[in-house]
Amino acid sequence: MVTALAPSPLRQAREVARAELRIEARGGEVLWIITPFGAVALLLVPMAVGPDRPLLAGIGMGMYWVVVLLFGVLVTLRQTASDSSGHLAMLRLAGVPAAARAAGRAAASAVVLLLFETLLLPVAIALYQPDLTGWTWLPVVMLLTAAGLAALGTLAGTLVHGFAGRSSLGPVLVCPLALPLLLGATETLQAVAYGRTPWLWLLVQITTSAIGWLALLLSANAVEESA
Amino acid sequence: MSLLGRRLPVATGILVAAGLVGAVVAPPDRIQGEYQRLMYVHVPTAWVAYLCFALTGVLSGLWLWRRGDRLDRAAAASAELGVLFTGLTIVLGSWWGKPVWGVWWTWDPRLVTTALIFFVYLGYLALRRGTLDTVERASRSAVLGIVALVQVPIVHMSVVWWRALHQPPTVLKPGDPTIDHRMLLVLLLNVAAFTAVAAMLLRARIRLSVLEEDLAASRAAEDRELAGGAVRAPRLEGR
Repeated sequence: MVTALAPSPLRQAREVARAELRIEARGGEVLWIITPFGAVALLLVPMAVGPDRPLLAGIGMGMYWVVVLLFGVLVTLRQTASDSSGHLAMLRLAGVPAAARAAGRAAASAVVLLLFETLLLPVAIALYQPDLTGWTWLPVVMLLTAAGLAALGTLAGTLVHGFAGRSSLGPVLVCPLALPLLLGATETLQAVAYGRTPWLWLLVQITTSAIGWLALLLSANAVEESA
Repeated sequence: MSLLGRRLPVATGILVAAGLVGAVVAPPDRIQGEYQRLMYVHVPTAWVAYLCFALTGVLSGLWLWRRGDRLDRAAAASAELGVLFTGLTIVLGSWWGKPVWGVWWTWDPRLVTTALIFFVYLGYLALRRGTLDTVERASRSAVLGIVALVQVPIVHMSVVWWRALHQPPTVLKPGDPTIDHRMLLVLLLNVAAFTAVAAMLLRARIRLSVLEEDLAASRAAEDRELAGGAVRAPRLEGR
């Protein structure tokens, strides 16, 4: 008799992430709805503060990160990242642990967030023409922000699953907790611009992301049991 | 069952009266003058808020471990009090800031992180209100109660980590407190008084929750009886 070995949790998480990304690619919720919405937000700010070129250049990167944070939460709470009861039952029957599902979903969200950040960046640069000193650090900052926000957003999505005000309560929970990510993202480029090394701010981002991922993985079973 | 109890309100009353007298007779600050007396209410409210959030975190952890209605009830009551005292801290700090800093609000790390923790725990309360199933509610809020606790040290250390207008810690720091010892004594007395007030309110809130649950259970039982009375077992004709 041949006994099939259960795939490792890591592989299960990878498969969940792949499935999530496939669903997102088919639905295009982030690409066609949330990203244009974020671009519109970036477009509205100069209209509110006035077309003062030096002012806009000064606040440009800050506004970019604020939009990434606010709309990034929408990315993690997107409709396609929410399990239907049938989907959830199928994954449970297939023996995929709650932590592997959460990790897979967060990993997929991180990829989608990175895409979202990448698409919005040229829009912010074109509209605000900010000082891009230290831009070489930008990919690292974008990666860490995406990873941290994905973990916190997925955790919030799990907590507000089935909640009537899901799309409003989720951001209320995530945004304050994601403040260190925002600070790390904005201060890294500032530090480089002033000739300092940005390691401390990167460490802030790494620590926040690590706490987010740890909380997500450790709480997955507890939240799952009660659902 | 009395909501407030008997001995705790008496002890709290004595402590509050002593704290009030102390706040009036303590020497004024050399620079801020009489405005500094707001410290005797602002600092204790902040302390109680920290304490309540820490209690919520600990009780949430215990709930995930042991699963008990009492733990969940106490965690929720503590979070409610934490939100109340954080709100008071912000209002009192703003009231103190206007004459001393010249503004009601400034973009200081301590102020911003305190406002953020207020909103995180408002979210905690909203999550509880929106989840009807008791086990699901307890489980989700327990996870959030632990995660949100991370913010407490961030709020406390914000004045150390960033250049801030808000003064750095004077008591909860390594070494001798950098404050006049008479002022310190009155401050500690008020901290004790506010802690007693919080303990009293916490107990009252927990008892109120028990009464609310009993009421909900009795209403549910009444509903069941009504439905049961309306439904008759099917009977065949001629029997």
